[in-house]
Amino acid sequence: MDPATVPAPSGLLLAASVAMLAAALWLLLPKSSDTLASRRLGILLGALALVGFAATGRSLGSVGENGVFLTVSAVALVSGLATVVTRSPVYAAIWFAMALAGVAGVLLTLGAQFLGVATIVVYAGAILVMFLFVLMLAQPSGMAPYDRVTNEPMLAASAGAVLLGLLSMSIGRLSAIEPPACCRMPSRADAIASGSAAPVSPEAGDEVARLGAELFGRHLFSVEVAGILLLVALVGAIAVVSRGEAAAESGREAA
Amino acid sequence: MIPAPLLINALLVGAGLFCLGLVGILTRRNLIVMFLCAELMLQGVSVTLVAWSRYHGDWGGQVLTVFVLTVAACEAAVALVFVLQAFARTGRLDAAAWQSLREETLPRVIDRELPEGDAAGPTWPTLTPAGVRPPEDASHTLEREHV
Repeated sequence: MDPATVPAPSGLLLAASVAMLAAALWLLLPKSSDTLASRRLGILLGALALVGFAATGRSLGSVGENGVFLTVSAVALVSGLATVVTRSPVYAAIWFAMALAGVAGVLLTLGAQFLGVATIVVYAGAILVMFLFVLMLAQPSGMAPYDRVTNEPMLAASAGAVLLGLLSMSIGRLSAIEPPACCRMPSRADAIASGSAAPVSPEAGDEVARLGAELFGRHLFSVEVAGILLLVALVGAIAVVSRGEAAAESGREAA
Repeated sequence: MIPAPLLINALLVGAGLFCLGLVGILTRRNLIVMFLCAELMLQGVSVTLVAWSRYHGDWGGQVLTVFVLTVAACEAAVALVFVLQAFARTGRLDAAAWQSLREETLPRVIDRELPEGDAAGPTWPTLTPAGVRPPEDASHTLEREHV
């Protein structure tokens, strides 16, 4: 393959996918002129765009036979699209949980076991539950009018789809270029070959253990800073809540 | 170590998640949904970081992703407090409720027409209330009441 250009069929396919994605996003986003037929057309176009991107990824990366990766990434992308276009914020949060499950599957397929599990535990278990609590506290009854309209849906959908097309093109150029030797990280295999590291047995828990050694060895200071950041965020959140309640009460007494 | 084709496909997935989150944060007006879309963008970045980390056999990308998780937790805590305060002041989760903070030359957001459908909101699932006796039916008097 010519390293400077994306091959022509893939480029055409990519352009068609970008156009279909923009149209699907525009049709699916909440607008004042929504009908059931336009939403169905949007879902159809979105599915076609997903198939087009899968074909592009296959021609660029040629691991289309990796069925697990294709499935979990399709789950992540479809759920992400549904998060963006769903009218009800509660359903958006549930779709986001589904997208998190897909992302965790992608991370597990890539071989990052700890991060895949941490995504489920921290995001879906803690952060998303916090979102749902806030929605329970702050959701008016029925569908709010600001959930049924969006700002500039056509411009934003086109911008997002074109950005995705540009990113895909630059990623496609990557497929022909090997990283130069100066910029390559010394991999484990190289280190073993040069004799500077002892070979380790490729066990299942090996990756997690080595990530932990890296985290609490080389990046120990950063871990401490992250811990302080968590503490500061906790104290700050409580301070803002208590001060806001005091201000609201004083305002009520004055009125 | 992962092969280069898998790296490229993972980068495509990360780019897709990032762009979807970008569209959401540009268009949606509900503060909570905007925030969910920002988290979606963070997920795309995480996938990209982990893919490069696995490709190069270097742990820096995964360590950075751990810190992305940490900062996302802090950000969610602080930002949701601010969202709740904003809701307490305006009674709405609408970003346009704070449009008096905009620049002088920018136009106001005015809701001229609202779509007809969806006004009633979604239909939520209901639970069967427990402990309620079903109505008596004379035509089924032959049914055994007690065993």
